[in-house]
Amino acid sequence: MALTRTTSGERWRIRPDGPDKVTGKLAYLTDMYQEGMLIGRVLRSPHPHAGIVSIRTDKAKRIPGVHAVITHADVPGMNRFGIVNPDQPVLCEDRVRYIGDAIAAVAAETQEIAALALESIEVEYVLLPVVDDPAFAQTKQAPRLHPGGNVLHRNQYGHGEVGKGFAKCKHIVEESYSTPRQMHTYMETEGGLFIPEDGGRLTVYSPTQHGYKDRMQLARILGLPEFNIRVVSSPIGGSFGGKDELNVQPYGALLALVTGKPVKIHNSRYESVRAGLKRHPMKIKMRTGVDENGRIMAHQVHIVADTGAYATLGAEVLNFAIEHVTGPYTYESVEVEGVSVYTNNGVSGEFRGFGGNQAIFALEGQMDRLAEKLGMDPWEFRLANMRKPEDPGPLGQTIVRTDGAMRTWESLARSPIWLRRHDRRTSEPWIRRGTGAAIAMHGSGLGFGIPDPAGGMLALAEDGKIEAIFGYEEFGQGLIATLELMLIEQFGFGAEDVRIVIGDTDLVPHSGSSTASRATSMMWKSLQKLRGPFLDRMLNEASKLLSQPADNLRIGRGGIWDKSGEHLLLTYALLARNISEEIRFQTHFPFPVSPTKRVGAHYLYTYAAVAVEVEVNVLTGRVKVLKQFHAIAAGPVMNPQGFLGQIEGGSGMAVGFALTEDSLMERGAYLTRNLDTYLIPSYADLNGEIEVHAIEELPEDDDHGPRGVGEIGSVCIAPAISEAVFQATGKRVNKLPIDPELLQETPDFLAKAVDGI
Amino acid sequence: MINKSLAERRSDKELECEINGQPMSLEVPPTRRLLAILRDDLQLTGTKVSCEIGRCGACMVLVDGRPVNSCLTMAYQCQGKKITTIEGIGQDEVDPIQQCFLEEGGYQCGYCTPGMIVSVKALLDDNRDPGIEDIEEALSGNLCRCTGYGGIVRSVHKAVQLRRNSS
Repeated sequence: MALTRTTSGERWRIRPDGPDKVTGKLAYLTDMYQEGMLIGRVLRSPHPHAGIVSIRTDKAKRIPGVHAVITHADVPGMNRFGIVNPDQPVLCEDRVRYIGDAIAAVAAETQEIAALALESIEVEYVLLPVVDDPAFAQTKQAPRLHPGGNVLHRNQYGHGEVGKGFAKCKHIVEESYSTPRQMHTYMETEGGLFIPEDGGRLTVYSPTQHGYKDRMQLARILGLPEFNIRVVSSPIGGSFGGKDELNVQPYGALLALVTGKPVKIHNSRYESVRAGLKRHPMKIKMRTGVDENGRIMAHQVHIVADTGAYATLGAEVLNFAIEHVTGPYTYESVEVEGVSVYTNNGVSGEFRGFGGNQAIFALEGQMDRLAEKLGMDPWEFRLANMRKPEDPGPLGQTIVRTDGAMRTWESLARSPIWLRRHDRRTSEPWIRRGTGAAIAMHGSGLGFGIPDPAGGMLALAEDGKIEAIFGYEEFGQGLIATLELMLIEQFGFGAEDVRIVIGDTDLVPHSGSSTASRATSMMWKSLQKLRGPFLDRMLNEASKLLSQPADNLRIGRGGIWDKSGEHLLLTYALLARNISEEIRFQTHFPFPVSPTKRVGAHYLYTYAAVAVEVEVNVLTGRVKVLKQFHAIAAGPVMNPQGFLGQIEGGSGMAVGFALTEDSLMERGAYLTRNLDTYLIPSYADLNGEIEVHAIEELPEDDDHGPRGVGEIGSVCIAPAISEAVFQATGKRVNKLPIDPELLQETPDFLAKAVDGI
Repeated sequence: MINKSLAERRSDKELECEINGQPMSLEVPPTRRLLAILRDDLQLTGTKVSCEIGRCGACMVLVDGRPVNSCLTMAYQCQGKKITTIEGIGQDEVDPIQQCFLEEGGYQCGYCTPGMIVSVKALLDDNRDPGIEDIEEALSGNLCRCTGYGGIVRSVHKAVQLRRNSS
């Protein structure tokens, strides 16, 4: 059944953060203002690669209204950041490695004075050769961008012998796939307010996907104990992975501490573009062969990822891509190699899908090409090679038994889009229609060997509100709404009984990051663990107060009810006022991991099968996505509106990845600096039909509950569109975004005129 | 030498306009952007800042009922005009358009939402029965990165339906 507002019934609710969002009342952290606050700005390198000879700030410091100009000399702690591998200078000392590298920061009384101060900082550079090609970066002639060389990370996986496998093949497909430098393009650019507090504390109001991680990194940079820093990090105007790493926080924090005044920073769009993360452009070479029966005998993959100037999570993204270039299939032999290479091309990092998008585009492209060679239906070909529920995961690791691949495959095979795929009629001769499909399994959680803590807290507050307290962030995905609905459905509270507390390190426990499609899953598990003890204690306290056995009582909307549910006996406010000891329970546990010791390997997967119907205008070369069908197997749906929104939103973003989005660079400089040339999909691009089917059933022995769906909607669209374009035009796509020139045809009448017929 | 008349022209002038029904008199340079006046001078932060080149629509407001990007509008262009921001829509009770966005889930992070609602308001105030192309045109200047427009399409269609039924 399609997931819609109607089919969701009462589970489709107005989000608790909705009213303030539609009225503009919600104060984002970049909307904050404080009397007397200064404006912070960052001086960034105009060169993609240069040595710094000198930095002179005296002129800038003399400008009236300038309160501070800081350089690397003013960083009290470690002058580096990076979630896993801190190799990015907060403020560069002697060298810049990309066009957004920070050299100095200023705090001034107005925007205008701050801008003047930036212009007055004198930096002398000596230009160095620009490394803008990952292939060149790996050669001996290339300048070394980091002490360890230009390779950030190399990894591989394999089983069987591909040499022997290829020897058995009837058909072999060899292709090289390229993917774009996609930009997150959150509508709210990076920023925040940084307030020095009494007692040497600092409050940071700035979006991030993991408040505690920012706190740890800032403490390291500022040379302060973590406890002295409070990070308030929600609400957020979009992130998609892009605000996971530190961005403006170090500068705001340093300037606030140096000046002793509140400092506000809010990036302009171009500053966001030049300084911010992008999706790793990857070149993925694949050689895949099948025997005469259509069984895949050998699959050989080579991945080169352009990680840009600094690491952030580049190594982890590459590991994820290596894990996802094999997908839900079995192979007689596999050999995967990958390398993530430093260049002067901005900074690539974490982005929704996390390397899966690139890997699955390439892999599914191979599947369609092999099916064509075999003369097989592409969907049947996938079935013939599909993994079985008990099979190990893509890295040979033990995973939770799952029939998600088969269930999504079947759902798509029955979908209306797929059933009418052979009908290619269009209204005009220059319009071609085609249908394509793709399937994927996508890991959730950070993977084996990476600290991945989870947990949360439930408390009865003094005013009688039930507080659900989690260290997760709300960047639009609907986490607050999901949590509220879980508390209503699984505990029996009313929405008005509940207060959700997130995004503030002074208030919340360590819950791990809001990344990797993990937060919903971990909130559910936390509540499962907290439910028994919390409700028992509530009922026991109520039992004492009411002098009734706890067995006669039940939890309900507004308070404690008699067993029949007819009489409200005690409100939560009264209960809270009359208990002797606080009711507060906390749980802490790690995200489930595979017993197989391979770093990064996942244990829980979600599955998607996606079909799209497109129209190609062969005069303009433009592709329009008319219809989409998504079958998603991610366990029970916790919040239908949120689930649908994640699939629609993830897929919309992937339509951009496939058709229009690329942060173009030339010799390390961005050519696409704003939304006039960097084109994300608009309303008219995405108002086609979209149908989402949630496959909620899990195998009986699966007690891991709901999986997150933040990323799964974004990984199958590009290969499905590419196949649909092939069906429509007969042209194979191996490079994204699809170049309209590839699809343009000379109209018949022109050909006739030239031929003189 | 500084051209005196030019210097005078560039000095702060009294801007007389109406913002959300309230007459305002503001000392601002004629070239100050309306976006800065709203967000920085008046702390009306429901109007959002995002691309600042008139492409994303996060800063959309109504000037005499017409949708404009406040990032591209200067103070002198607002002289004597009636300006409506998101704060001026549904002041007493939620506007039916806002209600449609709430019910259909036409937002996620919410950062584009004020501008989106302003554009829909402009459309429906002007056109009681817009067709698909009218809607596409009206929302061509508003970008959303979260929803893939699914919820927005449903919200707008519902708001259009309500408008039709009310007329």
